[in-house]
Amino acid sequence: MKRSKKHLSPAVIMVLFAVAIAMLLGGSISGTRAALTYYSETYTSRIHLFDIGVTLLENDEPVSWRNYATEGSELWEAGSNVEGSEVGRLLGDMLKDEAGTEQPLKLGVKYPEVLEVQNTGTINQYVRVSIYKYWVRGDEDTKSRSAEDQPKEDLLHELDPDMIDLHLITDQGWLLDRDATTDERTVLYYSRCLDSEKITEPFADTLTIDEKIATKVSESRDTVNGVTTITTTYLYDGAEFRIDVEVDAVQEHNAQDAIWSAWGRHVIVDEASRTLSLVY
Amino acid sequence: MKKTKYFLTLLAATTIVSAGIGKAWAYFTTYTEASGGYRIDLGDRTEITEEFEDWTKHVEISCEEGSEPVYIRARAFCAEYPLEYVSPTRKWIEHPTSPDGYWYYTDILNGGDTTNVLDIKINDVPKKENPNPEDNPEIGDRFNVIVIYESIPVKYKPDGTAYRPWDPEVSWDEKLVVEETTGPVKPETPENPDVTEGGNN
Repeated sequence: MKRSKKHLSPAVIMVLFAVAIAMLLGGSISGTRAALTYYSETYTSRIHLFDIGVTLLENDEPVSWRNYATEGSELWEAGSNVEGSEVGRLLGDMLKDEAGTEQPLKLGVKYPEVLEVQNTGTINQYVRVSIYKYWVRGDEDTKSRSAEDQPKEDLLHELDPDMIDLHLITDQGWLLDRDATTDERTVLYYSRCLDSEKITEPFADTLTIDEKIATKVSESRDTVNGVTTITTTYLYDGAEFRIDVEVDAVQEHNAQDAIWSAWGRHVIVDEASRTLSLVY
Repeated sequence: MKKTKYFLTLLAATTIVSAGIGKAWAYFTTYTEASGGYRIDLGDRTEITEEFEDWTKHVEISCEEGSEPVYIRARAFCAEYPLEYVSPTRKWIEHPTSPDGYWYYTDILNGGDTTNVLDIKINDVPKKENPNPEDNPEIGDRFNVIVIYESIPVKYKPDGTAYRPWDPEVSWDEKLVVEETTGPVKPETPENPDVTEGGNN
C-alpha cells in the first residue's frame, strides 16, 4: 500500500503568512484604537510610607533623632545637636545666662530640664525612655561619651546618683518600670500610643544637684614624728555628674508582641483604648 | 559528587529564602540617645590681710581665684580695751535681727574677689601724756587683739537667687559628714576646708 504525501503549495504558504502578518497588525491597531477612544478618570492616590522615627526634645528643642527615610539615599537619618554625632548633647544651655555667658553651677538650684519625646515618623508608635545618672572623674574629654563608652576607671560608683535630682513626672502618662529601675537607671514607658508628629507629656521638668554634696568629705590621717595631720577632702570635688537618656520606639501594629520581641518586656496593649500597661 | 552539588544548591536556596523570612518577622523600631553633665568644683581658699595704724586694724579678706563663692563674717576679741567696728562702705554689717558679735559681709565673695575694708578700732588705750601717771603704758606692756573670720559656701534658693548670709537657711555651724570611700576624686588636692578661720594680732 502506497502512502500518499500531501504538501502545501508555496502559494498557500505565502497566503497564510500574509494573513498572519495582517492579524498581528490588526491586533495592534485595535489596541491603539482602544487607548484613543477611552480616557480614564484622573485618580489621586497617597503613598503611605511606613517610616518610623523618634526625636528627644529638651526644653522644646530637638536634641537627637533617628528617623527611617525611604525617600533619601540613606535608609536612616540620624543626627543630633552635636555636629557629626548621633549622640545629642544634653544640658548644653543649662548654665548660660540671658546674655549667653556660662555661669558656675549652683548647688540646690532647680534648673529647667523639660524632656519630651516626639514621634517624627509616619507611623504611630509606643515609646520608652531609659535614664542613667552617675558620676565620673571630671575631665573635659569625657563630655560626649555615653555610659557604654565611658572608661571603667572613670566611673565613680561610690558617689551617690541620688545627688543628681532629675525631677521625673510619672503621673502624666509615664509609667515607672520598677523591675528595670536601679540606683543609676530609671526606665519609663509612655502609657499611650504616640501618633505621628505628636509629642509626649514631659517625663522630667527640672534638674537639681543636691547641695548636700558640699558637706560630704573624706578624711586621711598622716602621722609624722608623733604629729597627726588630718586632711579633709570634698568627696565630690572634681567629679562630673552625667545624665544619659535613651529613647526607644516600636510600631503600634502588634505592639504587644513587638515590645516583647524588641525590648524583652511583657506589657499589655489595649488596642481599643490604645494604652499600654506593664506586667509584673 | 552529584549529591554535594545538590546539597550546595539547596543550601544556597535556603539561605536566600531565610534572609527574606528574617525581614518579614522584624518589627519597626528605632532609638536615639543624648548625654550631658558638668564638673563640680568645691572648696575655697580665703586669706586675711591686716594693716595696723593709729590703734586701728584694717581688715580685708580675699578669696583665691577658682574658689567657689562664699559668705564671710568676722569679729575681733580684746580683753583689755573696747573695740569699735567701722565699715566705710557699709558692706559690713551686724546681724540685722540678733547681733552675735560677728560682722557679716553683705556681698557674695567670688573667687578672685576681695572684701572692702573693715576697720576695727581699739579705744581707750592710755597715752603717754595721760594725766594720771599710774595709767601710763610702760615699755614692755602688751595686749592682744585677735581677729577671726569664717567663710562658708553660698547657699542658693531653688530659683537661683542667693540667701543672705544672716538668713536662717544659712547654717554657719553645719557639720561635715565624713564618709568611707575608696579615695578622693582629686588625690593631689592638699586640703579644702569648709570653714576657715584665721587671725593674728
